[in-house]
Amino acid sequence: MRKNMSDFETLKSSWNDQSAPNTPENGSQQIVKKAEYIKNKQKLTNLILSITLIVLVVFFFYITAYNNARAALGLGIMISVLAIRIVLELVSIKNLKSLKFDIDAITFKSRIRNYYKNRVWTHYVGTPLIIFAYCFGFVLLLPLFEKNLSNGFYLYIKISAVFVLIGLLTLIAVQVKKELSILKAIQN
Amino acid sequence: MSAQNQFDSIYDTNYPNVFRICLGYFGGNESIAKEVAQDVFVKVWGNLSNFRNESSISTWIYRITVNTCLSNIKIRKKQHVSVEKHLGHLKSEFENQTHETEAQIKALYRCIDKLNRDNKSLILLELQGLPQKEIAYIMGMAHGTVRTRLHRIKNELTKCVKT
Repeated sequence: MRKNMSDFETLKSSWNDQSAPNTPENGSQQIVKKAEYIKNKQKLTNLILSITLIVLVVFFFYITAYNNARAALGLGIMISVLAIRIVLELVSIKNLKSLKFDIDAITFKSRIRNYYKNRVWTHYVGTPLIIFAYCFGFVLLLPLFEKNLSNGFYLYIKISAVFVLIGLLTLIAVQVKKELSILKAIQN
Repeated sequence: MSAQNQFDSIYDTNYPNVFRICLGYFGGNESIAKEVAQDVFVKVWGNLSNFRNESSISTWIYRITVNTCLSNIKIRKKQHVSVEKHLGHLKSEFENQTHETEAQIKALYRCIDKLNRDNKSLILLELQGLPQKEIAYIMGMAHGTVRTRLHRIKNELTKCVKT
């Protein structure tokens, strides 16, 4: 056991004999620029999500969907669930941003684990419910599309909706898999 | 001293230590270590006004470093390549030293990479020469726990390097 310790001291001395890594030239200025860039990118993301939400609400009133009960219900459900998804995303970004990195490692690990657990819960429970409600709203609108649109365009809407749904499900599955593997890695 | 000047000085003093920890944490992968070290200093810059002098600035930066390495699992998974491929930089560092030392350091990186995340952080802080009390503060563990765990990790590492 004592020999192992002296062997470790040899390893430690070899570790410290490694030449000092070069500090990047103007590295600190680059850091400040990167910090600014990240801040602007976050502002842009928030702006895009907020504009999407506003556009959806404006669209609802623009086509006077409230004059037809079925259209109001269908479009209302679709807009509401999209709005919920956007708010969930904004909250998630805010939660990640508010994670403090200067706390002790054990507390940090527990907080980041909780963050990813919440994310996975959102993906497993929240997102499927949202997709289901979105599809339900869309199906409610189909008879109106059939009545008011040409046969060709109606067919196009139905087929493209299936492709959009498949694409969306694939994207979510990839994201869930990625975040589950992070959670697993943190717990190990 | 302006904030930028203060940051310049903090960066120049602490970059080598931060980089060395990241390098050890990510199995000697220099490009990941650079990326994560940059991420650490983005956080240092962003939180400098929150630093309350409850510890030394270097201890505060070590906390951010350990936590940033932990939260950067995504990068590692994305760029997972064998340790040996990433230790090219050691060749130039050890040109004047024996092949035996070079092999020992490579083995050390490889063995550290096999440890779990907490143990990795503990041993890297120990290798950097931090007192156990400071390591306990950074990790949020009792001093006695750090001492016991480090003793076990040192034995494990020494055995692993020899094989």
